[in-house]
Amino acid sequence: MGFDWIFAGELAINGALSGLMYSLIGLGIVLIYKSSAVPNLAQGALAMLGAYIVLAFFDGAGIPMWAAIPLGMVVMFGVGTGIERFTLRRMAGQPIVMILMLTLGLDIFFHAVTLTLWGGTNRSLSYGIPDDAVEVAGMLIDFTYLAGGIIALILVAFFTYFFKTRKGIVLRAISDDPVASWSVGISVENGVGLSWAMSAVVAAVTGVVFGAIQGVDYTLALLLLKGIAVAVLGGLDSVLGAVVAGVLLGVLEGMASGFLDPLVGGGSKDLVVAGAIILTIIVRPHGLFGREDIERV
Amino acid sequence: MLKRVKLLLASAACALVIGQPAFAADEPIKIAGIYDLSKVYTFISPQIAQGATDYINLINSKGGVEGHPVVYTVGDHGNEPQRGIEGYEKFKREGYVLFDFLSSPVSRAVLPRAMKDGNPMLQTFVGRADAVDGDVFNWIFPMAPTYWGQAANIVKFIEDQAGGDAKGKKVAFLYLDYAFGQEPIPILKALAEKKGFDLQLFPYPLPGTDQASAWTGIRRYKPDWVVHWSFAGLHVIASKQMKRNKIPMSKFISVNWINEVDLKNIGHERAKGLKRSEPVVAGREPVIIQEILNELYAKGKGSGDVDNVGATYYNTGVAIYAIALEGMRNAIKSGASFPLTPAAVKAGMESIQGFDVHGLMPPVNLSSSNHGGDGKTRISEWDGEKWVPLTDWFVAESDLVWQEVKKHSAEYVKSGK
Amino acid sequence: MFYRQAGVHHSNYKTDSALFPIPFDKWSIYTMLALGIFAPAIFGSFALTSYLLPWMIWAGAALSLNLLIGWAGQFHFGYAAVMSIGGYTAIHATLAGIPFEIALILAGLMSMVVGVIFGAAAMRVKGLYLALATLAMQFVVDWVLTHVPAIGGGASATLQAPDMTLLGFKITSEVGYYYVAFGWLLLVTLFLLNMRRTGFGRALVAVREKDYAASILGVNSFYFKSVAFAVSSFMGGVSGAILVFCFYHAVTPEQFTVNVSIQLLAMVIVGGLGSIIGSYFGAAFILLLPGALNTLVAYVSELLGLQIGIETLAHLPNLFYGILIIGFLLYEPLGLAKVYDNIRKYLMVWPFGYSKR
Repeated sequence: MGFDWIFAGELAINGALSGLMYSLIGLGIVLIYKSSAVPNLAQGALAMLGAYIVLAFFDGAGIPMWAAIPLGMVVMFGVGTGIERFTLRRMAGQPIVMILMLTLGLDIFFHAVTLTLWGGTNRSLSYGIPDDAVEVAGMLIDFTYLAGGIIALILVAFFTYFFKTRKGIVLRAISDDPVASWSVGISVENGVGLSWAMSAVVAAVTGVVFGAIQGVDYTLALLLLKGIAVAVLGGLDSVLGAVVAGVLLGVLEGMASGFLDPLVGGGSKDLVVAGAIILTIIVRPHGLFGREDIERV
Repeated sequence: MLKRVKLLLASAACALVIGQPAFAADEPIKIAGIYDLSKVYTFISPQIAQGATDYINLINSKGGVEGHPVVYTVGDHGNEPQRGIEGYEKFKREGYVLFDFLSSPVSRAVLPRAMKDGNPMLQTFVGRADAVDGDVFNWIFPMAPTYWGQAANIVKFIEDQAGGDAKGKKVAFLYLDYAFGQEPIPILKALAEKKGFDLQLFPYPLPGTDQASAWTGIRRYKPDWVVHWSFAGLHVIASKQMKRNKIPMSKFISVNWINEVDLKNIGHERAKGLKRSEPVVAGREPVIIQEILNELYAKGKGSGDVDNVGATYYNTGVAIYAIALEGMRNAIKSGASFPLTPAAVKAGMESIQGFDVHGLMPPVNLSSSNHGGDGKTRISEWDGEKWVPLTDWFVAESDLVWQEVKKHSAEYVKSGK
Repeated sequence: MFYRQAGVHHSNYKTDSALFPIPFDKWSIYTMLALGIFAPAIFGSFALTSYLLPWMIWAGAALSLNLLIGWAGQFHFGYAAVMSIGGYTAIHATLAGIPFEIALILAGLMSMVVGVIFGAAAMRVKGLYLALATLAMQFVVDWVLTHVPAIGGGASATLQAPDMTLLGFKITSEVGYYYVAFGWLLLVTLFLLNMRRTGFGRALVAVREKDYAASILGVNSFYFKSVAFAVSSFMGGVSGAILVFCFYHAVTPEQFTVNVSIQLLAMVIVGGLGSIIGSYFGAAFILLLPGALNTLVAYVSELLGLQIGIETLAHLPNLFYGILIIGFLLYEPLGLAKVYDNIRKYLMVWPFGYSKR
């Protein structure tokens, strides 16, 4: 029996699509890191919160899904701005480890808020994509995965473009040197606030995309680990890196569970991901597309 | 939202002691139910606790167990062994005689203490499977079929469906890749060899939300049956994958952890044909559930959302505590002095014979060497509105299962406790 | 007040480099030590087994991690995996008939070897990239524990800890376990207290502050980072073994998941980087607060007669826990140790507030 190309192809395509979706959560982390060098450990909880808010508009208030999603994104924009305004801004200038811890506190907080308000029972969410699949040359491609992947690509394209606009250049300037930006009249606070808000909006989209696949419950918050892996692998300040790393991890995971699992008895995804991480770090210490920092002594 | 408020209003506060002033003079029987209500097991614990609370309230409203009120304290351990141990140590000092943790990691962490101190611990469907061996695990009471037993029964069903011969059938075993999901594998492998059916394993990793590649494999394997060892929302994900991969629902057999909420999320119509192994009857028909509805919920005394009553997990909670209280009843009947000692509770539990809570489950028979009962389950099918039993209560390959139990409990003994 | 500096003179280097030059510090340490030694007599057995014992063990683990993060400045996202290696090694070793004392050392060595292998692979990188490499270690160790029956214990996924015999004493009582944990914590604390004063400790701090600058000064940063990894992993492994033998008495993979790693990290950070007393505070804060909040919320709702569903009642404490962590960091971003330090500094010059630097 030769190598099963169709099997591998299907695994690769579906893996790449789910990898694109992972890059959504990585993108949220990158957006914040790019402007303020803070690795946001609350991104998973924000995605969970976003999904629940959209569901609250849809189920609770009876608003149709096409309106509930934008409404949820608006609310999350507010949430993101609020986080920056009331917590992050006051921590400016503190050691990065403490800010990391703060985002962990935010993670616990939003996790608990969501569950207190809506309970822990799994709920379903659908944004109109059928649970069907299309068959291409013997390979089955899921519509929800396809839709998720396309949404991820749209967002990534948008943000790539965004960082070329005036506002985007302002954010890049902030990430380059906050103090220098300040001195030329850029409002660093507003810039960082905007990046948190955008990241929270991305989180809402992430929540909806994954919610349609896995239902809405606490597991959405667990996406954080995948997101961190994707963001760091791609290089923490690279939008493009998040996509490439996401696709790479997705394909590797898919292949591993298809071909390696029967050999090692399961769970090889985690092993392969771990291996990919370590290898990348050895070969490219600043991630695939990350900018190499020049350190001053 | 409204429902939620109603639940809040209607439910008795957690950690509040359930008791009736009427028996102030009598010594209560104290049971501690410390669950994971906030982290991983949130899909099940609240409903189990609701069922347990209602059943105990019902018993108390009828005068308690042989005249003694039952105090049932619910707490949260957040699936952290440390907090489970804290709860155990606290309640053990306050005269509690039965402990329930409903979480595999916490049960495993408390087990050495319960064994050493000699305190009965419930361990229904969680923790060590070999704990049904009462000779070794004197103080641990699973009181339910093991996952090994459930797997063997499912294989028996598959065999019967094939007209008594499973030879050549293809069975895909899809499971969440950690201890719970991996548990039935040795039994399935042994049976595959014995019965001559083809078994292939399809693991998917924690937290179980990414099943796409496993299902790709299953589709290409073209199985006759898909046996799924998982729970809650993961069934919903599986159902979506089944639709995409065009595997009919009728080939799907689940372990007992599938609830009405999951069916709702799958879609009642779409779930038609789904089969599962069940150790407890679901629905509102059983006498005891009717009684709870009439005596408690009709009078506004229910401890939670009335919609949950009759759901699988709810009924499981009722069943677990019905057996536990039956054990207490036996202990008191046999003349144990009050307050009950853990040893008396143990003896009472071990003398439960033919107890079925008016048909809520197959008759439970426990003994000092068998803390798991007969291991009987049945296979039922969702017909779009309710669960329809396809078989009577049955048990298969009991010897093989007990061989596995003994093998593991012997290892426990060898490790010197 | 209290921390009186009057009469504290240093006429030679020895007294100047004493651990506690201020008498009040010395006496408060002695009091704490006495409290620790006589704890079984002072506290009830419930407080001893459910709070003090786990607190001591986790404080020991947090201190071990603090050596790496606080002193050497290296992130570790997989410290629970390091501890699990220690725990499993110790159990397998004692089951194979090796005396407990040697099993403990083996546990430390095994953690050290695995820890250093992963650490060395990541030594080129810093900060979050290193954190990710250690996270990868967590994944690999988790996989091994759940998929290699010979190590993880197969279907029951549990290994029971055999009875322990330490230095000829058979330890079976809660008090005995307490003293073992207490002794280990004492050892770790003494080691760290003294390490700060040695060349090794100072080299670590130099590497943490700026490794390039350190290497210009002739401090081989790669060497010191590796040694920090090795020492910290060794201590983590022993802490893991103690945790399993003295507290859990059985080991399962879930006791050492990535969540536990994050909790450990939180203990160190909330407590205060590079602070010994901070790790004590941090361990107490992260370990005991959720349970305490739970009791408090249940108590308050009972007091006010609130009709809260059991589920909500379980989530509320987490909410307050999150708020506490956030609020506390906003209030004092440098950790609990800094709060302690502020109080100490305030009292040192009280009532002469103007003399504050």
